[in-house]
Amino acid sequence: MTEEAPAIFIALEQSSLGETIRQSVWLYPIANVGHIVSLVLFAGAIAVMDVRLLGGLAATSPARVIVRARRYAIAAFLLMVVTGFLLFTAEASHLALNPVFQFKLALIAVGLLNIAIFEFGARRAVIDLAPGAAMPPRAKVAGLLSIGLWLVVAACGRSIAYF
Amino acid sequence: MFRAITIAAGLAFAAGAAFAHHGWGSYDAAKPITVAGPIQTSKFENPHATITVRGDDKVWTVTLAPTSRMSSRGATAQVIAVGKTVSAYGYPSTATPGEMRAERITIDGKTYEMR
Repeated sequence: MTEEAPAIFIALEQSSLGETIRQSVWLYPIANVGHIVSLVLFAGAIAVMDVRLLGGLAATSPARVIVRARRYAIAAFLLMVVTGFLLFTAEASHLALNPVFQFKLALIAVGLLNIAIFEFGARRAVIDLAPGAAMPPRAKVAGLLSIGLWLVVAACGRSIAYF
Repeated sequence: MFRAITIAAGLAFAAGAAFAHHGWGSYDAAKPITVAGPIQTSKFENPHATITVRGDDKVWTVTLAPTSRMSSRGATAQVIAVGKTVSAYGYPSTATPGEMRAERITIDGKTYEMR
């Protein structure tokens, strides 16, 4: 525990939940493995959508590919939030001050913003396209940003322990 | 576009490989130290067990292994209990003064590997 962290993170770390996660033989490893497994699911679903937005899998209907892959992406993201919260709670005061963790959270916000901009902007231009039709440039931009951002988020997550 | 994705994925893996050996990056392996003395506090918890040890110069925070590994090697909570005398060989943190990561610890004549 570090005293320098904002009080809310110290309180979270010292909560009974934090205590339980640290003391339990299984909870931390399960959250740890669960976080990675849900990341794999998330990255797979995101990659399928991004490849489609970038013009790959051209023979498929964009609507079908994106709508189906998105379900997995949302489920996997929620699982990552839950497992990530457990991992964070165990060491909240240190992680809140960790520069790589802060950068990772900021990038997640940018990634979600990219999704929101796509949903309210480019989505309509994409969803009704026939298989084989060219993707509008803004869909390609969204796809490229997405794959890049989430890969860096994953790299940041792996790097937190080293800073 | 696919080339861009391939390159990005390659970079991500390269970064991952460079960071192999979890948690030892911010410790100075070129300057191993041995801290010996009584255990003052002991936390047997995840992600790593930690003890504080009154060494010759100061009180060191010694980061040990995850609890499951500690247990499987016999270094249980009872073994690293407060009041016992420990000798910890490891590497000082380059980020936090007074903290070290133990490579191995010796308690009651028995040595436990932490890696």
